[in-house]
Amino acid sequence: MQQNGTPKAGLAVAAVFIVLEIAALSMLKSSSVLQNIWLNRFSHNVMALTWGGVSRLKDYTSLRHQNDILAGRNFELYKELSRYQDEEEQARSQALLDSVPGSRRFSFIPAEVTAMGTNTRHNYIILNKGSQDGVTPNSAIITPHGVVGIVQIVDKRYSYGLSLLNDKIVVSARIGREGIVAPLSWDGKNTKSAVLKNIPFHHKVAEGDTVLTSGMSSLYPPDIPIGITMGSRIVDGASNVVDVDLFLDFAALRYVIIAENKDRETIEELAR
Amino acid sequence: MRDIRYIVIYVILVIAHIIMNNFFDLARYFLICVLPVLIIMLPSRVNVLWAMVIAFVTGFVVDFFSTGLLGLTSLALVPVALAIQPLTLLILGGEQMARGEDVTFTRAGISRIALSCLFACSLYFIIYVWADSAGTVGFWSALLRIFLSVVLSTPLCVVVAKLLRPL
Repeated sequence: MQQNGTPKAGLAVAAVFIVLEIAALSMLKSSSVLQNIWLNRFSHNVMALTWGGVSRLKDYTSLRHQNDILAGRNFELYKELSRYQDEEEQARSQALLDSVPGSRRFSFIPAEVTAMGTNTRHNYIILNKGSQDGVTPNSAIITPHGVVGIVQIVDKRYSYGLSLLNDKIVVSARIGREGIVAPLSWDGKNTKSAVLKNIPFHHKVAEGDTVLTSGMSSLYPPDIPIGITMGSRIVDGASNVVDVDLFLDFAALRYVIIAENKDRETIEELAR
Repeated sequence: MRDIRYIVIYVILVIAHIIMNNFFDLARYFLICVLPVLIIMLPSRVNVLWAMVIAFVTGFVVDFFSTGLLGLTSLALVPVALAIQPLTLLILGGEQMARGEDVTFTRAGISRIALSCLFACSLYFIIYVWADSAGTVGFWSALLRIFLSVVLSTPLCVVVAKLLRPL
């Protein structure tokens, strides 16, 4: 037997083999219905397998293009989501403003807490609204659930304020809507409690009364709930001090309202 | 002279095969076929290409004059021709094959001849039975048919190999 070692001869052998086998299959196919059906089914399976493989290969090679399309779509969806988030933010701010007891004397600016300290005696708060948003120094920082602090320094885009958790801040508060007015300040113990000072000795304070802003300062709007009274005690034998449990959770604080009294300068001028 | 003898026996065996196909209808259970050995014992100067063509024509003639399916024998016999080189290498070894020596019974020995006949018959019957049943016969039935055909045909192929090229 002669050897066919060269690649060319090998190709020729393969080609002749394929041609002869195809010829044999063709004859077989045309000579019997059963074989015809069987070969058709076989060829269909082979074709399906081939086209399936080609399709999978195409899918694989077009992954980069698909990825680009998906990245573009992702970006569009992200933009749309941002738009909805902005709208929701505006709606939330509006709801926040609507929930504050109204007063024609005050203008309100919704803001978000950027930074806040709670673990020193002189805690601060930084808000994301500044002079370009209309914020002015000595504006009140409030929420519908209580007093947060007071704006002290205003930057173009941010405001720095002292929070209620600062022993320099004193808020004029009232026990109930028609009760006694007394200064409220932080007791320095924890973020949930404050004290009402200088309550006359003879004035009995019941536990569970609501403490509200009095409206007797030029800073804070009236009737903002601050907390509820707890126990009271006599200090220096002359006045009572009432413990107040604050409504506001400073640890979870995120959205606030900056309230500016439009008549503040006039009131302060008259008070001098 | 040896080639003429080979050709004569080749033709006689092909005719015998056709007659057997036409008059002994046992193909449903097993097949008896010596065509693979006719192909693997072809003279060494016939290369694989020509061997495949000879196998195809032989298969066509057998099918044409038999009651079987046209193309079936060719389909099974051409791969046997393609496998001639590895089978010759198995029978003769690389050195004698390189010298272009013909496969003979004496030179190769009965065991190698029998082994190559077994391989050739197995290849032939696997393809033949597979294409003949066309998916209508179960796997084990087809395997049994292949097994019986190989078992019965291989000894006959060895005898034919001795007849074709005794020395």
